[in-house]
Amino acid sequence: MDKIQLINTLPDVFANRTDIASDIWLQNVEFEKDKLYLVEANSGTGKSSLCSFIYGYRKDYQGQILFDNEDTRSYSIKKWTALRKKHFALLWQELRMFPELTAMENVQIKNKLTGYQKKKQILEWFDMLGISDKIDSKMGIMSFGQQQRVALIRSLCQPFDFIFVDEPISHLDDSNSAIMGDILTTEAKRQGAGIIATSIGKHMELPYDKVFRL
Amino acid sequence: MNLVWKLLRQHISIPQFAGFFFANLVGMVIILLGIQFYNDTQAIYDGEDSFMKADYLIVNKKIGAMGSIIGKDNAFSKSDIEDFEDQEFVERLGTFTPSAFDVSASFMMDASMSFSTEMFFESVPDQFVDVEKGKWTWKEGEKDIPIMLPKNYLDLYNFGYAQSRNMPKLSEGILGAVKLAINVRGNGKSDSYTGKIVGFSSRLNTILIPESFMKWANKEYAPDAKKDPTRLIVEVNNPTDERITSYLQDNNIETDQDKLDASKTTFMLRIIVGIVMGVGLVISILSFYILMLSVYLLVQKNSTKLENLLLIGYSPAKVSFPYQALTVGLNIIVLLLAFGILFLIRSIYLGMFENFFPDLTAPSIMPALVVGVILLVVVSIFNVIAVRNKVMSIWNRKG
Repeated sequence: MDKIQLINTLPDVFANRTDIASDIWLQNVEFEKDKLYLVEANSGTGKSSLCSFIYGYRKDYQGQILFDNEDTRSYSIKKWTALRKKHFALLWQELRMFPELTAMENVQIKNKLTGYQKKKQILEWFDMLGISDKIDSKMGIMSFGQQQRVALIRSLCQPFDFIFVDEPISHLDDSNSAIMGDILTTEAKRQGAGIIATSIGKHMELPYDKVFRL
Repeated sequence: MNLVWKLLRQHISIPQFAGFFFANLVGMVIILLGIQFYNDTQAIYDGEDSFMKADYLIVNKKIGAMGSIIGKDNAFSKSDIEDFEDQEFVERLGTFTPSAFDVSASFMMDASMSFSTEMFFESVPDQFVDVEKGKWTWKEGEKDIPIMLPKNYLDLYNFGYAQSRNMPKLSEGILGAVKLAINVRGNGKSDSYTGKIVGFSSRLNTILIPESFMKWANKEYAPDAKKDPTRLIVEVNNPTDERITSYLQDNNIETDQDKLDASKTTFMLRIIVGIVMGVGLVISILSFYILMLSVYLLVQKNSTKLENLLLIGYSPAKVSFPYQALTVGLNIIVLLLAFGILFLIRSIYLGMFENFFPDLTAPSIMPALVVGVILLVVVSIFNVIAVRNKVMSIWNRKG
């Protein structure tokens, strides 16, 4: 997948609003591989909805979302599954981790599906993010900031053309944010992938190619 | 351990699944046992006479003392037969055709001894005779005639004649290889045929030959004789029907009452087994419901986990598989256990049967096994589809 296009896209719940002034909604937006984007948003402007629409999780929007010029509304289950496994990674704002499993198991449940990352690499990331002592802790008893870092590692355990990170550093300090940005960009560069990050204030300090206001 | 399974087995309720397990086991055992018991008891009834079904009634008009004196005919007229055939309880009706020509038969025991006797033949429509196909046929020009003898003849010889003369007893099998020399006379002709004994019947007190030979021979050797049948063979749809008894009484017809009773017994047995199997089926269906409810509950409780798995790239098929394997696995274990219990109970009652019917060869257990496997497959398909639908509703966010 080389290109994501949003054409006249608008969440159904905004359909009656006339005051939409956004760089994304009701616009013609294009995200390309190998580039770095930041989507800045205020609360209630539909940031999480945007994630859900692009990831095929929700379909309550108007307009079109195109991957390589193909409308994603026509995607089959098989195609979505393949996409989520091999082409498009997503770090959810609400993380979507499994509290019953340990940190390592949460990462492995993804990596076993894709078989993409070596265990050594995963352990290295745990180490870099300063949570190597939490590897065998249950996810449920970890702090949100710690969970956020595990979630990043999990999202990297697959090949991708794009990675969408929804408020990845909301609960991290500056030094951890920097490390996360470093890991993310290194891995994206290695794969030649595009990064789309969102924030509602604090954001990773990275050399963005383009910044949108939602 | 598989991480997906580790996740999805959360909230599995052991009591619910144990409830399903035992309910389904009881239902399955009742169904299979019903089928098997019916088959096994059927073998006892059928074992008496494999050539004539117990459901057939053989009827004749009562012969009264007065009737003999005034020469009243005890044959069924054409209108009698038509009236009988029109009765609601009659499925099929056939007439006994007696031979109108002279027959004598002889067979050699050894060089020094031979039996020779005057005899007669009768025939019934071929569809009433349950002999292996091809064995009960005769075509014009053939010299071999298949013959069925009353079992009494054999008993008479074995327990009377052979006993008193110290001669070897004969089994049905040996007699099957003996050929009778048959001489047929009438209409100025006399021909020799060979009779082949294909079986012994305890239902029929007559010497039976195929209808095709009877028709041809009556025309050939006794073209003028025209006799009305004196006996009828009737297949009824329900031997317990009260109307049968009253119709027979009203028309002065008698039947072999024992046989009517025997078929009544089989009929009642069939109904009872049917009811028992119905109960088993109801229990099985209810247990299936318990299983479906607990799976639905499980999916509901784990819906967030299932959704997250789908969102990180697991396909609906992969996510459904653990629950599908769980239900199908349970079904298989239930079936295997049910088979085990079936064998156990069967060996107990077969042991009891053997005391009463030493000759009984127990029929195959295949029908019960086949029904069990079919039930397993049907129920499993339903389970698999139900789980899949449930997961799809999560995919479509309709849960």
